[in-house]
Amino acid sequence: MSMDKQDSVKSLFTAQSAKVDTNKGDAYYEALYTQCRARLDDLKKLAPLNNRMDFKESIEEEGLERRDFLKWASATTAMLMLPASFTPLVAEAAVMMNRVPVIWIELSDCAGNSEALIRSDGPKIDEIILDIISLEFHETLMSPSGHQAEKQLEEAIEHFKGKYLLFVEGAIPRGIDGYYGTIGAKAETFVDHLERLAKDAAAVVAVGSCATFGGIPAAAPNPTDAVGVMDVVKGKPIINIPACPANPSNMVGVLLHYVLTGTVPELDSLLRPKFAFGYRIHDNCERRGHFDAGEYVEEWGDVGAKNNFCLYKVGCKGPMTFNNCSIIRYNEGVNWPIGVGRGCIGCSEPDFWDKYAYERPMANANIKAPTGGVEKTVDEFGLGLLTAAGVGIAIHAAASVVAGKKSEDSKSEENA
Amino acid sequence: MIIRELIEKIEGEAELDFTFNEGKIEDVQINFGFYRGMEEILEGRDARDALVITPRVCGICNHAHLITAVKAIENGYENAGLKVALSPKAKAIREFTLSCELMQNHMTWFYMTILPQLEKLTGEISTQNYALKASYFSSTVTKAMSIFSGQWPHSSYAVPGGVTCDPSYVDVMQAENLIDECIRFFEEMLTGLSFEKYLSLNSLSSLGSVEGDLGKALWLIDKNEMAEAGQSHDRFIVLGDSVLAKPGKAQATKVSNVALRYVEESVQTGTTAKAVSYKQKLYEAGPLARAIVGKEPLVKSLHKRYKDSIFTRVFARVHEVATLLVQSKKLLNALQLDEPSCTLGKMLEAVDFEGEAAVEAARGSLIHKTSVKEGKIENYEIIVPTQWNLSHGNEKEEGVAVKAMVGSKTIQDATFIFRTFDICSVCTTQ
Repeated sequence: MSMDKQDSVKSLFTAQSAKVDTNKGDAYYEALYTQCRARLDDLKKLAPLNNRMDFKESIEEEGLERRDFLKWASATTAMLMLPASFTPLVAEAAVMMNRVPVIWIELSDCAGNSEALIRSDGPKIDEIILDIISLEFHETLMSPSGHQAEKQLEEAIEHFKGKYLLFVEGAIPRGIDGYYGTIGAKAETFVDHLERLAKDAAAVVAVGSCATFGGIPAAAPNPTDAVGVMDVVKGKPIINIPACPANPSNMVGVLLHYVLTGTVPELDSLLRPKFAFGYRIHDNCERRGHFDAGEYVEEWGDVGAKNNFCLYKVGCKGPMTFNNCSIIRYNEGVNWPIGVGRGCIGCSEPDFWDKYAYERPMANANIKAPTGGVEKTVDEFGLGLLTAAGVGIAIHAAASVVAGKKSEDSKSEENA
Repeated sequence: MIIRELIEKIEGEAELDFTFNEGKIEDVQINFGFYRGMEEILEGRDARDALVITPRVCGICNHAHLITAVKAIENGYENAGLKVALSPKAKAIREFTLSCELMQNHMTWFYMTILPQLEKLTGEISTQNYALKASYFSSTVTKAMSIFSGQWPHSSYAVPGGVTCDPSYVDVMQAENLIDECIRFFEEMLTGLSFEKYLSLNSLSSLGSVEGDLGKALWLIDKNEMAEAGQSHDRFIVLGDSVLAKPGKAQATKVSNVALRYVEESVQTGTTAKAVSYKQKLYEAGPLARAIVGKEPLVKSLHKRYKDSIFTRVFARVHEVATLLVQSKKLLNALQLDEPSCTLGKMLEAVDFEGEAAVEAARGSLIHKTSVKEGKIENYEIIVPTQWNLSHGNEKEEGVAVKAMVGSKTIQDATFIFRTFDICSVCTTQ
């Protein structure tokens, strides 16, 4: 490979990919602070819904110290990309999460996101938050079942008309008039169910890759014609939190942001919150140093694997994947796939199920590449793997240009 | 008279149509209105893609799907003439992570399904936050697991030939600590007994000393006069090899051998779930089956008195957590970290093979069968534990769960019996 080719490959991989603006200037944050303060004061006047626990009480019950709580609050403030001065506001917003009604429905899913949520993140704190989130309806977590549960859902829709956040887990199968997935005694199809519930929601949050982009059910040949929420729901603010499963920290983050500001967070062109999806796995990967040094795992169980070298050559899709797992990790921050020597499968990217869901490098995969076969030119470079990734990055760069435009446009509609 | 009831909190929902005759349930039809087409999606993909696709069948037993998928590929490689010899380390790590998944499932089921439903049945509603207890134990044990698997749910850390992780002693110590914390929960919350004392219980009569939430559940079942309810064919099957039991089947407590080739799957009318039988007979799968086939003394002692009733079934599932806690500590202690993690560097490309594997998942025996032509999946079959328990049955006999429910006087009793099988809707219909 000639020197300048090598350089161009190198520049692709070391380029700043983060398109998220982490410092918007004092004037912006001062205005936001005032807005949040007013919002929280308004919320304070409302009674907690449904006799939810008082957060302060539950902190005491759980024997959690205030110090731990503040630690969590400052970490969450950082995750939401807000200045440290917002920490007291975030802490206050957490206490106020029982003022915003949440309805959570499961469609064509595996329940993995709910399961991830109840084994949530943070030193026991998100678990308590789970207890004070005003979950008006969640099939797995609520106590009533059967007809009683259905009744509770109908009452919640009626009572919180226009105010509730609708969290959706699972894809929406549209095949055979939607009858691949039905719910309730009247066998309402998932399509009808979602449309009906979204109509009166303040905003819809699609949780997990199935609800955002269709996910595994939409994998070729997409037997049930499954799609994501944004293909069904129109005319409502939608927030996408992809990944399989979505990271519980991001679910709580979106909710907190809404409680705090009354708006949806800044989104990219795929409607993903920029605080979580503004940069690539690769940008903040703990093995990034080995990538830069050219030290790779060549095959499973080799010396490179023992030394935690870069997983790119065994198919890591970190350079193509926008998500914050390299920072917040999974299972209360204990670990994440790359931490155990398994490359990223790009599970938060659209079409990951057909594009990335394997352990082979892009160029070795016998699939129709998302780029329409540009991979064929890799021989020219002599380093096929890198080229394929370069193309991936170029696509994202293009997407981000659109994203910048989108965030301008969406600001005006975000006041939910 | 037919009455329809919806059952939720089973990773999706099911619809039960109860037929009553003279005040008793005479027949139950179990339907699922849900289909994703997982087997269809797998066709035409690279054989190894099953490692990423199949865990996503289920948010609860995803890890069991991963382990079954990887074993099916390894079995296929062996059938194609490639020797696959896992290091004891890789085997033990897989066994450990799978055990963790079983434990989190059992405790979530116990605290979020069984206790609240029992309270409702008996009118003894408490103000306890069972969801928090479930979440505490499950988070702790899945943390121990993710030290090796990277994340839960939906890890793909097992690859043909072993595992990708290469843990250090610090990792192992961290995992041991977390398992110890689970043991502490078992002592303080679940049983009110020291772990040693609990493990020394050896008969039905000694169960009286169990307090805590398990003691409460057993007391509530007894109080509701349901200790003998929910008996079925008293026939059990275990197809996977695990620390809990060797493969085998049992009629009452008489254990005999099994072979995967006698397992048959068939389409049923009115539901997207398929039926499964062994030599045309229906068997119960799950922790009770593992305890009977594995000759677990305490469960056998309960079985002697209550047969395969809900009392034995509920107890067997919770008791399995104790056995798994003991076994997982043993597995961690015996890890030889200098052994290789993975012994197959290169994967087989473009080969033909037939592979199959059975693994003991939380709810019972899980089977994957893969037929591969030139490296691509031609046919993939997934048979899940819940299919064993929920098959409708044939002319000769009723399905396992159906028989358990028949004879109940109320729908509430029957649906509780149904839930003791720890049903998973998304797995069953895929």
